[in-house]
Amino acid sequence: MSEILQYIPGDSFIHHLNPVIKIVLVIVFVGLAVLSSMIPFLLILIVILIIGAVLSGLIKEIISQVPFLLLLSFFLVLLTSLTVQEGDMLLMLVPSPDGQTGFGITEGGLLFGVILSLRFIVMITSFQLFIIATKPSDLVTGLLVFRLPVDYVLMFLIALRFIPSLQLEAKRIHEAQLCRGYNPGTGITGKIRSLKPIMIPLVANSLAKTQVLGLTLDMRGYRTKKKLNLHQLVFKTGDYLCLILVVLTFGIFFTLHLGLFQ
Amino acid sequence: MINVSSLSYTYPVGHSPAIRDISLSIDKGELILITGHTAAGKTTLCYALAGILQHEFGGTLTGEMTFLNRPVSDYSGVSELNQYISMVFDDADSQLIFTSVEEELASGLETRMNSRVEIEERICHVMELCDITHLKERPPYTLSGGQKQRVAIAAALAMNTDVLILDEPTSELDVKATGKIIETLKNLKREGKTIIIVDHSLEGYRYVADRVIVMKEGMISRTGSFNELFPEVQGSMKALYEAPDLISYTEGQNDPLVLISDLKKQYGDVFALKGVSLKIYNGEFIALLGENGSGKTTLVKHFNGLLRPDSGTVRIGDLDAKSASIINLVKKTGLVFQNPDTMLFADSVHEEILFGLENIGSPDPDSIIEDVLRMVDLIGKDNVYPRHLSRGERQRLAVACILAMKPGIIILDEPTTGLDENESDRLMELMSDLQKKGHTIIMVTHNMRIAEEYADRIIAMEDGRIIGDYKNLRGRAA
Repeated sequence: MSEILQYIPGDSFIHHLNPVIKIVLVIVFVGLAVLSSMIPFLLILIVILIIGAVLSGLIKEIISQVPFLLLLSFFLVLLTSLTVQEGDMLLMLVPSPDGQTGFGITEGGLLFGVILSLRFIVMITSFQLFIIATKPSDLVTGLLVFRLPVDYVLMFLIALRFIPSLQLEAKRIHEAQLCRGYNPGTGITGKIRSLKPIMIPLVANSLAKTQVLGLTLDMRGYRTKKKLNLHQLVFKTGDYLCLILVVLTFGIFFTLHLGLFQ
Repeated sequence: MINVSSLSYTYPVGHSPAIRDISLSIDKGELILITGHTAAGKTTLCYALAGILQHEFGGTLTGEMTFLNRPVSDYSGVSELNQYISMVFDDADSQLIFTSVEEELASGLETRMNSRVEIEERICHVMELCDITHLKERPPYTLSGGQKQRVAIAAALAMNTDVLILDEPTSELDVKATGKIIETLKNLKREGKTIIIVDHSLEGYRYVADRVIVMKEGMISRTGSFNELFPEVQGSMKALYEAPDLISYTEGQNDPLVLISDLKKQYGDVFALKGVSLKIYNGEFIALLGENGSGKTTLVKHFNGLLRPDSGTVRIGDLDAKSASIINLVKKTGLVFQNPDTMLFADSVHEEILFGLENIGSPDPDSIIEDVLRMVDLIGKDNVYPRHLSRGERQRLAVACILAMKPGIIILDEPTTGLDENESDRLMELMSDLQKKGHTIIMVTHNMRIAEEYADRIIAMEDGRIIGDYKNLRGRAA
């Protein structure tokens, strides 16, 4: 079973970074990816992320996402090339009677699709790398530094923690229903109808867990956690190097973009 | 330390009180065992003693309760009480919040201890106590039920509170692991901790518990020392191998109903089954015993195609379980899983049973449903919403769902987890009756008592292999 978005223990440079720095990095990467519409800049971001993944020994996990990212990119490009009509016409699909304009794949549409895809790749990859290389307790500490309410931080954490549990539970329910001769239907209506024997136990069982979960958190005194473990927030050389990386990235961003505007 | 006088409580959605007129005084350093049938109010009493009812639940509460001579309602909530009290809930999985065992144990300590070193020492200590050191970096979803329970207990122990409340902490543990936990509790008691524990399997506490409280219908029905209340040896803690009445199993002359030869199965790089060969004959009642993780469940999943052999053969009657379709296999072998909640989804008991019948295209489902409801003693509950039934009733409904499909072989995976002794016996009586009607029963369990009492053949597994195959002379049929 593949585990989605789970922390992978390791001893690399990225694992040891201060969680605050990692959050800053993710925000900067995602933010700049959204702001930038230059393919070279987005490619630079992706290269940095790949280098990070190699350094942290997590490149395998990132590569396993490639088929999904390619599929996503394909649909994004398809969507934009069919909806955005800008620039030179590359492939005329429905010619108009006058032969001048028409409906087809345009350079602008294709370019926009590629940019959008690259943005998503940067966002998804940086978020994934951040989650799988950060201990959940560090994640909590890091997010608390940004003054996020502790309840929301815990909600986020619990959501991540229960992804694989839900996958397992769904598998178990599926097996239990198979024992009763359950056969997933065919066709769209059949598929939707056959979800009921799986989804209802899954949701009901998950809801039943929430009470104990909440009580456990309270009994551990987690929600009243006010003081931060400052000794966890020591900044080391790696953290300063990353700050330099942030500055550099901003530098490249402005040079490329401002250079474009002049 | 804790003083309760005439405490009654009704849940916000309840019609009648869950606990009634409880008066109780618990001294420092006492170990108290609470027992009683399912839905007797044991868990509610635990919630009361932990201050959860007073601070978290709402509902109607009457009576007084003080902790350290101060009314519990005076405390500012569970967040203050958790300095003194920690609790292990009966559902182990939902108590594990973090993504590794180590972090789980650290989570309660970060607000209590000041240095990393101190926290790490404490974690190492409790991991050793609960025998989970080897699981340190494992995420919770890779743990078995028994391992999760041990982690949940360790997380509570880690906080080193004066009072420890444990609600059925050993329901999924085998005899060895339970013994180890009880040993740990004994040591904690010696350190002066107050321990309140709810459990169904009692014998292990004979020389540990200072006092036993038996609850019935929300009230304390009996209280006294263990030997006063239970002079004779109790139930499932009685280890089979200490007083065995077994002889080596001899194979029958007829054609076997199930024929397994050299079955091997591997998950990733774990070898779950390392060459199992087995013949099962029509009409046997088999108990499959073994420690957690010995391959019992993996083995029985091969009987109906949920798992397919990596190598070796599994034949069920005239079907080859390696290639036959699941739908054909489930007509011959019915598997009931440990937790009935993994299958209940319909709006009524009737519909729940109908689901399986429709899947196999059974003619005249209504009369079959009536028959099986009579067998499992749920008659008249046709229109009840399945999840409103009690735990024991849900377990019997799960059996009914499988039974309705009329499989020759009925497999039960840990059928008595979460059931009290009465309910367990009731389920086992049902299985005995089915055996008399010609069904073959295979039961995966770590409950030695029911194995010894009901099965006529006992198979022991260890580490993916069968290590013993016996005829049980004490079994009902023998």
